[in-house]
Amino acid sequence: MTMDVALFITVGVVAVAAAVMMLLSENAVHSALFLIINFMGVAFLYLMLDAPFLTMIQIAVYAGAIMVLFLFVIMLLGAEKLGEPTRQFRWLAPVSLALALAFLVITSIAIIQGRIDLQGPATQPPALRVVNALTDAGAVDVYLNGERVAPALPFGEATEYTVLPAAAVVAVDGAEADTGREYTLTINAAGTDTALMTSPLVLASRTDRQINAYTVVAHGTSSAPQASLVSDNLETTDNRAGRLTLFNAFERPVDLWNFRSETNPDDDVAVTTDLAPGSGVELAAIPENTDLRAWAFTEAGNKEAVLFRLNNPEVYRIRRDEAQLLVFAGEHIADGTEQGSIRPVALPVASRAAADFGGPHGAGELLFTRYMLPVQLLAVLLLVAMIGAIVLTHKETFQPRRRDVRRRVAQPLTTAISAQVGQDVLQPGEETPRLPPQEDEQPQPVGD
Amino acid sequence: MVQTEAYVILSAVLFVLGVMGVLLKRNAILVYMSVELMLNAANLALVAFARQWNQMDGQMFVFFVMTVAAAEVAIGLALIVAIFRTKRSTNIDQLHQMEG
Repeated sequence: MTMDVALFITVGVVAVAAAVMMLLSENAVHSALFLIINFMGVAFLYLMLDAPFLTMIQIAVYAGAIMVLFLFVIMLLGAEKLGEPTRQFRWLAPVSLALALAFLVITSIAIIQGRIDLQGPATQPPALRVVNALTDAGAVDVYLNGERVAPALPFGEATEYTVLPAAAVVAVDGAEADTGREYTLTINAAGTDTALMTSPLVLASRTDRQINAYTVVAHGTSSAPQASLVSDNLETTDNRAGRLTLFNAFERPVDLWNFRSETNPDDDVAVTTDLAPGSGVELAAIPENTDLRAWAFTEAGNKEAVLFRLNNPEVYRIRRDEAQLLVFAGEHIADGTEQGSIRPVALPVASRAAADFGGPHGAGELLFTRYMLPVQLLAVLLLVAMIGAIVLTHKETFQPRRRDVRRRVAQPLTTAISAQVGQDVLQPGEETPRLPPQEDEQPQPVGD
Repeated sequence: MVQTEAYVILSAVLFVLGVMGVLLKRNAILVYMSVELMLNAANLALVAFARQWNQMDGQMFVFFVMTVAAAEVAIGLALIVAIFRTKRSTNIDQLHQMEG
């Protein structure tokens, strides 16, 4: 038995036992405390279900605020001693017990027979973007499956992510698996119909990531173009960090050095060495605002031969929750000669990291975008509930008016007696006896 | 990873316990507590399915259910307090006649 199954069983038993004890205990205060234990157990289960935000809400709102309200009302009314004196419907207990057990059996059968787990979690279709790092092709048109996704993409720019149609899901040995689907990437010189390259890509839907994103880096020269596929990791990192992935679209292998000290060469750190052309590497998460000015791409194995320094902090910068792809490419410069020259340059391609599943970041993003209107309605509902609670418990509302009391008291006693007895109590001509008028007469409140 | 079925069955058990509380308990406050238990059981199933389908919408529904539950408790307990003023009791057997 694995750790999480053992935890689930322990917490589940505690939650069910607390619920049973809540129903069985004689004292309402004990019931409320058992219910708090049950809520805590459920909060722990939320944590096991990747919902840390809801865990905190459950503890703060349910186990905290709502149960305090319950306990407060129990103590206010002095209703903690239950005592079950008069049970008017004796047949109710066995009937409801039988119905509840029947419901439990039926739902359990439905859940087990329904085979929820075998249907598999939702698959994420692949999303793709294209970076133009072609040395001498200039601007290009990008087509995916024959559809143009970016017209005249200049050198060094990237397209937006395009979500591709989901791959077909086929059944393999009873379980459903995704074998991937072939997509076609075509890159033309801008405004022309001549394809520089046509590249087949096989991308699969995935279930293990929330965002299934890829980047195609088009590199090489226009006579020998290449397309390399990089899988983008858009998961959020730990606190205050960003991701950096390097890709070498240059013609030669390169190193990336961090020249930490200008005076002492022994302090220099090799971030990555011998990055072959057309290959990429994902670095460990880097803290935000790390100074990249001392970083430089060099020829492989020769750190003196600096090709490009990342000395522009506006452009080369680690931002929080950002996944940056740094493409090291050569740009063709027309300098009057027949060949032209190739200038090495590092191209930053940034993308926001996906919001974390179940965390406050993801929840806030959903609440402020897709669920903005329901949140507003909830706010109105809470306001109405607040006013309703005040109106319902406001004492003046249930007191009769002072005028009504006086009228009832002022009724002559003889009239009331004669109405009860059925005959006149006064002889004809006799004067109605009256009580002497009282000082500061206070009407008694009725019905409290 | 614990199967989603296990969570849903646990949620069904908690829900049934809540139903029994609503049907069998005579104290109005305890009936309310049992309703909270039922809401919690439904929430547990929603969160389990949210993880199953890798969609956060289920968790957002739980968030809304919690907010509505908070509003409902405030109104419900206010009603109990108001009824207790006139009836001097929270026993629902004594409250079943709809007289003031």
